[in-house]
Amino acid sequence: MKILIEREPLMASIQNVMKAISSKPTIPILSGIKLEANQQEVTLTGSNSDITIESIIPSEEDGVVNIHEIVPGSVVIQAKFLPEIIRKLPENQVELSVDDDMNVLIKSGHAEFKLNGQDTEEYPQLPVLQTDNSFHLQIDLLKMLIRQTNFAVSVSETRPILTGVHLKLENEQLELVATDSHRLASRKINMTDTDGLTFNNVVIPGKSLSELNKILDDTQEPIQISVTDNQILFRTKHLYFLSRLLDGNYPETSRLIPNQSKTVVNVNSKDLIESIDRASLLAKDNRNNIVKLVTQGQNILQITSHSPEIGYVEETLETNAIEGEELKISFNAKYMIDALKAIGTDQVSINFTGAMRPFIMQPDEDDEPILQLITPVRTY
Amino acid sequence: MKKGRIIYHVDMNSFYASVEMAYNPKLKGKPVAIAGNPEERRGIVVTSSYEARAKGVKTTMPLWQAFQHCPELIVLKPNFDRYREASRHMFSILSEVTPIVQPVSIDEGYMDVTDYVGSQNPIKLAEELQKRVLNELDLPSSIGIAPNKFLAKMASDMKKPLGITVLRKREIKEKLWKLSIGEMYGVGQKTADKLKKLDIETIGDLALKDVMTLKNLLGINGERLHQRANGIDDRPVDPDAVNDFKSIGNSTTLPYDMTDQQEINRIFDQLSEKVADRMERKEVVSENIQIMIRYHDRKTITRSRQLREFVETKQEISQLAKQLFQQHWNEDPVRLLGVTAQQLTAKDEMFKQLDLFNYEKEAEKEELYLTVDQLKEKYGDNTFVKLKSQRQAKMSTSFQKDFLNEYKNNQNNSK
Repeated sequence: MKILIEREPLMASIQNVMKAISSKPTIPILSGIKLEANQQEVTLTGSNSDITIESIIPSEEDGVVNIHEIVPGSVVIQAKFLPEIIRKLPENQVELSVDDDMNVLIKSGHAEFKLNGQDTEEYPQLPVLQTDNSFHLQIDLLKMLIRQTNFAVSVSETRPILTGVHLKLENEQLELVATDSHRLASRKINMTDTDGLTFNNVVIPGKSLSELNKILDDTQEPIQISVTDNQILFRTKHLYFLSRLLDGNYPETSRLIPNQSKTVVNVNSKDLIESIDRASLLAKDNRNNIVKLVTQGQNILQITSHSPEIGYVEETLETNAIEGEELKISFNAKYMIDALKAIGTDQVSINFTGAMRPFIMQPDEDDEPILQLITPVRTY
Repeated sequence: MKKGRIIYHVDMNSFYASVEMAYNPKLKGKPVAIAGNPEERRGIVVTSSYEARAKGVKTTMPLWQAFQHCPELIVLKPNFDRYREASRHMFSILSEVTPIVQPVSIDEGYMDVTDYVGSQNPIKLAEELQKRVLNELDLPSSIGIAPNKFLAKMASDMKKPLGITVLRKREIKEKLWKLSIGEMYGVGQKTADKLKKLDIETIGDLALKDVMTLKNLLGINGERLHQRANGIDDRPVDPDAVNDFKSIGNSTTLPYDMTDQQEINRIFDQLSEKVADRMERKEVVSENIQIMIRYHDRKTITRSRQLREFVETKQEISQLAKQLFQQHWNEDPVRLLGVTAQQLTAKDEMFKQLDLFNYEKEAEKEELYLTVDQLKEKYGDNTFVKLKSQRQAKMSTSFQKDFLNEYKNNQNNSK
């Protein structure tokens, strides 16, 4: 095997597949990156027990030549040193060749690295995904869906199923839900060309989604999503991203969302974020990061926080309107800020049903079916 | 909350010195000072008799200075066992009058006698109480009688020794307001300095100042002090308030100087068990564990670890203590070991993050919490105050804490 390749696309591909390489792999060979060259392209693969990433470098694309010479072949190279080696090579072109004993030679300018490679026969065969359950999304939309929900997954393994984002496609509507049992993020979008495809209880590990989000560029190109019983594949022109799904039944969350409210507050998101952020300055030290919110009359919110050993902060915020019953409620400031940022609209409407009950936040304009729910804290 | 409560504040007069005089009547009428163990307290006067005070001896004064004021001063080392014993008797006499007794320190406490005074005149009852303590224990006390704790406390200070002072709310203008602000219970040096900048020299000046100004200056405490100055104090006499501590620690002097780590670990297990037991009784959890090591040469170190989570069990505490010991022990023989749980939070003062899947259990009680909340608001009982409030005992030694703990235990055992 031998390739003469541009350093930049090689570097980008290495960085993509590195996201799947674990420092403690289940089998030793997975600490390496697999390189495969055929006449048209070079494919890099990285894999761990949860995700597998393949990144494809075409020899030529849109008139730009990435690979100048290809002698087909394959090798597995230790991933630990490869990114740094390629990054620091002196020239823009890299020659990478492998002899029959799997010795890898990397040359660029006057620099030469000799690395010990491994035969790809030992590299596990990646499962071939066979499914007709596929649909398309725009990449930038998928990235937004991930940003708006993935932050709410649980980081604790006490209920493993909650460490993932729940995906459901029904009646041409795709819904993503994440909850750590203290807050919940939900986002729906209408689909047009799903060909009557439906699925439920597809739970993608939160970690997989955050890696995917890092790899994908914010473009309007399509990404194909294919779902099987235990795996999900995201596929763009030059990328395969395969993740395992979480086992188990995702809890029914729709019943958790209150459908009535006793107090409705309509407020500017940015103002609210800033004042919650200020109030939580004192609370941050305190693991709970609790702020208290009190309605005052028709349009004033009072936001306070008290840390026993530090001090007290109080601030009032003018809202657009407050309707319904008076309310005092305490909650984790971080949850509120996360949720407001995920909603991302100018105005937000907050529906409360009582101090001990979850409250929901939604954009004021109803064109974005996003919902953020937060469970309050009980202060004794 | 009842109207027209009758609260006593019972304050023992120069308690340690009085106990010594009761033990050794020859000391009566002489200037006596109790000064702590010279090594530990660097020879500072802990308390002194009225005869010594008349000569200018003051609490916390270094001994050499005390002798300058009063060359014939008799200095005694403290006998904590005696004081503990006397205090226990004193509080048991108080408890015979009413079960609602709240010890504040080893030598003072509040009583709510509203429901126990019967047809008796409250002043008469106080006189009898004072007499009983004097006759049975040979100890002088002052009693303040008022409709609330703050006024009772201020009243007991007005006449010493062996005073009985009634402070009615309608009398605060002439009796309370003329006092300088520094004499007000709850106003320390720093607060007094701040208030003086606002030209508040007397308690009356404070009472007449507008609340907002005070709130800006001192926060919630400003509002509270303003109320107190106006004779308002709704705090109940709470026999369980003994719980309000900032730390719980146990230490032990070893039977011989130890170097064997296994033996030392066993001591840590024992100490941690005691600490965990006390924490359990007080229903608190800790975020900081400290150990104390005193070496054979009396060199003493304390080392602590700040935790990210609450600990409460013997195992948790003991493990942390042993880790700390291992990190900081210089392998010299050890004479004394101590374990202290610091940064305590009452279990019921922790926040509870509700769970989306079972919040309904809590939500069912929403009405109840709401009512409790409203009551708290009405009576100004801020949930956060409890931990912060420092008992105003002049000497907040671990000895006093231990004493209060014992008092509490006895109460529990007798129940």
